[in-house]
Amino acid sequence: MFKELYLIPLVIYIFSYIVFAFKDKKSHKFFVYLVYAGFICQTIIFLTFLGIKGFAVPVHIDRFVFFNAWILMLVVIIFGFFYKVEYILLYITPLVAVNLIIAFFVPHVHVRPVMENTDRIILLTHILLILIGDSLFALAFIVSLIYIFQERKIKSKKNLKILDMPSRSGYNLELLDNINYICLKVGFPFITIGIVMGIYLSSSLFKTFLIVKPIEIISLITWFIYAVLLHERMAKGLRGKRAAVFGIIGFILILASLGFSFYFFPAFHGFE
Amino acid sequence: MDILIIGLNHKTSNINERETVSKKLLTPELRLEFTTKLLELKDESGRQLIKEIAVLTTCNRSEFIMNLSYWTQGKGGHAIKNYIAKYFFDDLEKEKILYMYLNEDAVRHLFTVASSLDSMIIGEPQILGQLKGAYNEACRFNTSGQFLNKLFHKAFNCAKTVRTETKIAASPVSVSYAAVELSRKIFNGLEDKKVLLLGAGEMGKLTVKHFIKYGVKNINIANRTAEKARNFVEESFEDKEKTYLHVIDFSEYYKNLPNSDIVLCSTGSEDYILKYEDILPVIKMRKQKPLFLIDISMPRNIDPEINKIPNVYLFDIDDIGKMIENNIEVRKREADAALDLINASVGEFMNWKESLNAVPVIISLRNKIKNLLESELSRYITDEKEKDIAVNSLTNKLLHEPTMLIKKSSLNPDGINSIKTVKALFNLDAEDCPEVFKKRISETTPENAKTAEESLSEYNENKIKLVK
Repeated sequence: MFKELYLIPLVIYIFSYIVFAFKDKKSHKFFVYLVYAGFICQTIIFLTFLGIKGFAVPVHIDRFVFFNAWILMLVVIIFGFFYKVEYILLYITPLVAVNLIIAFFVPHVHVRPVMENTDRIILLTHILLILIGDSLFALAFIVSLIYIFQERKIKSKKNLKILDMPSRSGYNLELLDNINYICLKVGFPFITIGIVMGIYLSSSLFKTFLIVKPIEIISLITWFIYAVLLHERMAKGLRGKRAAVFGIIGFILILASLGFSFYFFPAFHGFE
Repeated sequence: MDILIIGLNHKTSNINERETVSKKLLTPELRLEFTTKLLELKDESGRQLIKEIAVLTTCNRSEFIMNLSYWTQGKGGHAIKNYIAKYFFDDLEKEKILYMYLNEDAVRHLFTVASSLDSMIIGEPQILGQLKGAYNEACRFNTSGQFLNKLFHKAFNCAKTVRTETKIAASPVSVSYAAVELSRKIFNGLEDKKVLLLGAGEMGKLTVKHFIKYGVKNINIANRTAEKARNFVEESFEDKEKTYLHVIDFSEYYKNLPNSDIVLCSTGSEDYILKYEDILPVIKMRKQKPLFLIDISMPRNIDPEINKIPNVYLFDIDDIGKMIENNIEVRKREADAALDLINASVGEFMNWKESLNAVPVIISLRNKIKNLLESELSRYITDEKEKDIAVNSLTNKLLHEPTMLIKKSSLNPDGINSIKTVKALFNLDAEDCPEVFKKRISETTPENAKTAEESLSEYNENKIKLVK
């Protein structure tokens, strides 16, 4: 039910890409507007769900994925607004689109209801924090990819023609690196609190603190990677390509942990 | 009413010839002298050949953009060309290095020049400024009238369209500009970046000027002889630019490296000044902040191995050269797209020019109707003001559609018939000659006015013959 609604923003995003294929400035502007339109559409759908169901648990998994897509878009749009780098939309939209597709095809799984009321609030906060953190890291991942691609081009000095696009003046290494750093700085606290809450929830769910669950191990590894990266950046001024590689590895681990929790060991993550 | 362009450029002449011409057009006074002489040119019946003129001189071209009088024929054009050749070279043989374009070709040529398609480096931006200068000067000398005004404005417009709609000026083609563009790919804004220039040479000067233009405010200059560096700053830069420049001792340049984001190297040294092991500690001290090195010296002054260090980017003159070569190719391809835009603009301008042919007819038609109305209405309306209002509004209402028809028909070759019909219907040929002419006559000196009046009647006779 309502799943078909996910296709509306998806279609808008796909259409926006078709528009982008026309290589002139006007269509680039139109592309940005279309993406905004898609986001507004997502927001409306999200608010409608909230109006119908409220924060009631159990919630379907596809709602979460849809929510994830919404948060991701929100984070990127806020970022683009502050840093005047609308071109990031170009790279983040496919990620959002993939999220929407997953939301459309994902099976109807429920989150197991947690007993006490206080836990319910913690569960919602946990989801929210983790999703915001993940979205920021996803942005960092995309930016890192662009960075590596761009840096290689400048270093190898080949095919410099592609560098000369005045309409995309946002493409410079320093800015990409800064965005990467800010994503890390802002996203890390979210992830940290989110993971702590997750561990608390799982211990209250399984009534013991000591059972080692794959989801916990992998998220702790991810957390550790990001912690090292943050430390290196702050203390030693790690920058550029290495930082970008770190960011990419971290995000792959995040994807892995999500995969683990949703597909391989759903029971450990509180799904039925 | 014909546009004529006579001139020479880098394709038709060698540097000596261009130099001879530009020397005689060097100052505004010399140009004024030349234009006055050209305007004084007369045909056999003593009529002025040229009505409006503008002179464009750049290092690669000298061109004279003229609007000829109504009566000037092909012979007149050649006379002008001869005169120009004689004026500059004292040698009629040299006439062959001058090119001559008439009407549509001339308009197209001017638009191509304005769009920088005819330049030595396609897409270079200076030409438009130079053209604007030429136009402003013509306005100052009072040698530009309605026709050249429209022509120049259309040319500026066309150039702007070409610039924005094609990628003709998108990619840098000069080493100094390419260096700035590259640093903009690495750094986010150049305002807070520090530049270190090693060596005081011409290339360094141009590049530094470009950097200042893009907002760099902190530039250190180090040269082996500090005196030369100081002279270099004194001579090559404007006062405002000087405030951003600081000369430092050459022995201090290495200390300065960790604070500099961009290092420009153009010394005459035969050995590497910056070696691989020099830069390693520097980048650590910079906490891995990116360092951009540009080596524009020959032989190279910076060890190419340095490019392998992370967060250090080294470009030498060859790398930039290759980049520029690519860009020149891109521009050539874009030039084809630009030609279409230019052709469209030329079409628009020629339409406007053709529609001017209808202006005399429209004016005399309006005058006729106005006079009739005035004489008739004065019987019934005594108040002058009211009468004027009534006459004007009636004329406008009556003639709106015929005017549109005349304007439209003047654009196509068969339209002459409709104009002829209008003339026959209202018996326009016999009486008043176009007002425009009278106005022009009053503008010129009494001496000229006489000849002009004579020529006017001749013109009308010719016209009647033509129409018949």
